[in-house]
Amino acid sequence: MPKILIDDRVVEAAEGLTLLRAAESAGIPIPYFCYHPAFAPEGSCRMCLVEIEGLPKLELACSTMVKEGLKVRTMSPPVVEARKGVLEFLLAEHPLDCPICDKAGECKLQDYFEEYGFFRSQFKEAKEKREKKFKLGRNLILDRERCILCTRCVRFLNEITKTEDAGILNRGIHSEVGIFESEFIDNNYSGNLAQICPVGAITDSDFRFKTRVWFLESKESVCPLCSRGCNITIDSHPGHPRTLRTRRVYRVRARQNPDVNSHWICDYGRYGYAYLDEGREDRLVWNKGGQETRLSWDEAAQILTEKIRSLVHLRKNSRIGIVLHTNLTNEELFLADRIFRKGLGVERFFLADPPPGKGDEFLLTADRTANRRGLQEVGLSVQAPEPKALSGLDLLLIFGHYLAAGISPAGLKDALEKVETKALFASHKSGLDGLVDFVIPVPVIAEKNGTVTNIDGRVQPFLAGLDFDGDGLPEWRALLDLAKELKVDHKYFWPLSSQEAVYRALQKEIPFFK
Amino acid sequence: MDEKVLTQHFGVEGLFRIDVYRGQGGYGAVETALKQMTPAAVLDEVKRANLRGRGGAGFPAGVKWGFVPQNVPKPRYLCVNADEGEPGTFKDRYLMNHNPHLLLEGIIIASYAVGIHAAFIYVRGEYEAVSLRLEGAIAEAYRNGYLGKNILGMGFDLDVVVHRGAGAYICGEETALLESLEGKRGHPRLKPPFPASVGLFQCPTVINNVETLSNIPFIVQNGADWFIKKGLPKDGGTRIFGVSGMVKRPGIYELPLGTKLRTIIFDHAGGMKDGKQLKAVIPGGMSAPILTADEIDLPMDFDSLAGAGSMLGSAAVIVIDRDTSILDVLKAVAKFYSHESCGQCTPCRIGTAWINKIVKRLARGEGELDDIDAIIRLASNIKGKTLCPLGDAAALPILSICQKFRRELEGHIPHA
Repeated sequence: MPKILIDDRVVEAAEGLTLLRAAESAGIPIPYFCYHPAFAPEGSCRMCLVEIEGLPKLELACSTMVKEGLKVRTMSPPVVEARKGVLEFLLAEHPLDCPICDKAGECKLQDYFEEYGFFRSQFKEAKEKREKKFKLGRNLILDRERCILCTRCVRFLNEITKTEDAGILNRGIHSEVGIFESEFIDNNYSGNLAQICPVGAITDSDFRFKTRVWFLESKESVCPLCSRGCNITIDSHPGHPRTLRTRRVYRVRARQNPDVNSHWICDYGRYGYAYLDEGREDRLVWNKGGQETRLSWDEAAQILTEKIRSLVHLRKNSRIGIVLHTNLTNEELFLADRIFRKGLGVERFFLADPPPGKGDEFLLTADRTANRRGLQEVGLSVQAPEPKALSGLDLLLIFGHYLAAGISPAGLKDALEKVETKALFASHKSGLDGLVDFVIPVPVIAEKNGTVTNIDGRVQPFLAGLDFDGDGLPEWRALLDLAKELKVDHKYFWPLSSQEAVYRALQKEIPFFK
Repeated sequence: MDEKVLTQHFGVEGLFRIDVYRGQGGYGAVETALKQMTPAAVLDEVKRANLRGRGGAGFPAGVKWGFVPQNVPKPRYLCVNADEGEPGTFKDRYLMNHNPHLLLEGIIIASYAVGIHAAFIYVRGEYEAVSLRLEGAIAEAYRNGYLGKNILGMGFDLDVVVHRGAGAYICGEETALLESLEGKRGHPRLKPPFPASVGLFQCPTVINNVETLSNIPFIVQNGADWFIKKGLPKDGGTRIFGVSGMVKRPGIYELPLGTKLRTIIFDHAGGMKDGKQLKAVIPGGMSAPILTADEIDLPMDFDSLAGAGSMLGSAAVIVIDRDTSILDVLKAVAKFYSHESCGQCTPCRIGTAWINKIVKRLARGEGELDDIDAIIRLASNIKGKTLCPLGDAAALPILSICQKFRRELEGHIPHA
């Protein structure tokens, strides 16, 4: 690998890497606006100019390739002067409306201006007047006064979605980002434009004026809305419990993962976060003869354990049914298999998932759950939950609120009335609530720890990004509790007490997860 | 006046027609090159002639041709830069109007030397008459077997297409020209890669100025040594100087490289008009830093002008007299570059507009004491920091005007 000298430090960098990437990998930051790792270098913002020994002019770090022996200076006086020059130019024609700009707090222009000393502007002229609220896309508003013409948006639409919706119109100081007349950007990836805009030129009408970024807490998670498993960041107001506020989550952003979603997520995933706060189950209840009683999980678990134990004792294992879905984690699906099929000889496993949608051949898949591949790899065989099959059971453990989706309400009601005991582990309210004996609230993927397996077979771990503040508990814990109460395979389950321990057990048993 | 080369037959009636042109020995160089020389021999002759680019940058044409890779499966292209937009420059218009076949001859020989089978002439949009003339000449050349398939029966094919620009100065920058020719917005490309390896439609491309190519037939016919004798050892041939401004006889003058600026203004162009006094000269098109009246004893060649802090550029000599306000000159320069900046990169887009705003304020009589320093500082922040040479082209003349004529400019500031 070529060795180069950056600010007197020897940096080894792979052939074909740019100076900017080499410096970044060595922890030496070089500022930039137009550069984006997913696009070919543009070199137009001129912020990344650095000094290379032996060359008369400053050179672009974003496009100059590493070459053995290059001596680069990233903080020499001419470099700093050039950066200040670029900032001074950009700020001359940039409105100073940071107090009402959604980007404030995560704006490159703001950050660099602070870094380079908050110098006073010498600009005495009138700023250009431009359109402030141009509807650029379904959820996108363009403020042309804030735009610094980095063309990241244009290049995203050319290089990533290949829809070529936008371009630069006019010339010189009158240059502006534009689209075809009477049209706007309407594709399933448009939300990325607001995210990659380095300043507040493109804002997201979903987020606009709702909060300030410094109030938000960012947590990593995996998007469960299709089987791609895009890596995301969830931005929420910390300390605001879901039950007390109308809104806890303010936005979902793409988090880089070169093997899954690069730097992008689809709009379906980005704007589909309302489910995190809306329609949630939060009370663990027992419907006994038309009367609701609040229970603790321990109490509910005891009742369920007794029911299971008696059925097993009477050799009525075949009258126990489990309804699963594929937003359950690998661990949970594994536990369901290990406890009920292997441990208790239960044979009736059903799968009730949300109906598939249309994939878009980029990131969004037709499956609208996170872990279909996980179910396949765990190897549990499942059947469709037809009313006839359900009605012959004595105990039904229903995971997920999706059962109502595929069956007519009357047919479902009919079938479930014939089942003696029904427990529902659900994150969201649904028509099932009134048809079952127990409703046990559970967290969604964003609120628990676990792993899911994406469509390409990639196992992705995640930690809880949001607090779960219902009465209930994660399914894996509920399943473990039941196993321990029932004393199924006691030696095996007794030591398991965390999600990680379950995952290690899973890895031992199923080669795929190694 | 036997030193004339390119313009030697300009007085001949109907020179733009192929029969008249041939009557003057025209297309003889194509015969010589295709029938008696290998492409490598032509390339070698052009290299030895030290023919430097006439568009402004002065890069040796033979060296440029030599950069084109011959071992790639892609086609190679020739683009003729006829987007003559540099203020003060009008030499290529004369060349194409009076002697279009000379350019075509140069195109054919250059294409032969580099192995090119398609050439494009990118003509400035405003040059409608010129492009019609070129198209007429091209049609004649096809009819007479100098273009098309199997030229002169020697198995060499070449097609030439005229493309008119749409009126942007930036498209004279070679990579913006390529973008424009490809049907895109005329934005300069990031270099490297250079057009010689990745040019038009991502293929190896030679881009030469009209005057540069018009010299090629003479180099082939008379040899490199003859060509060097016409100019300077490192800067062969003649140069067409376009003189404009306050002189008695503005126009184009083909003179040996190294002719003194004073000689051009006072002998060839007849000296100052109406008894005016010389104040300043822009020696190489508007992008060239300005020279004062005391600096005109300079030989006009690339290196001498570079040594004096200016440049030969397109050899367009703009003569400014003492009755012309330097602020008006600055105003014209600032307005032009602000108007013509493509807007792609930050320093040029905002810097040129900012300077233009200050200069306009100065001209309104609302200047302030620190404005000249501000212009100098802003121009310095543009210089050397832009994506393409337009930034320097804007910054250098502005800097030179502010530095050399500071006192006059300050005279326009009310409280100075």
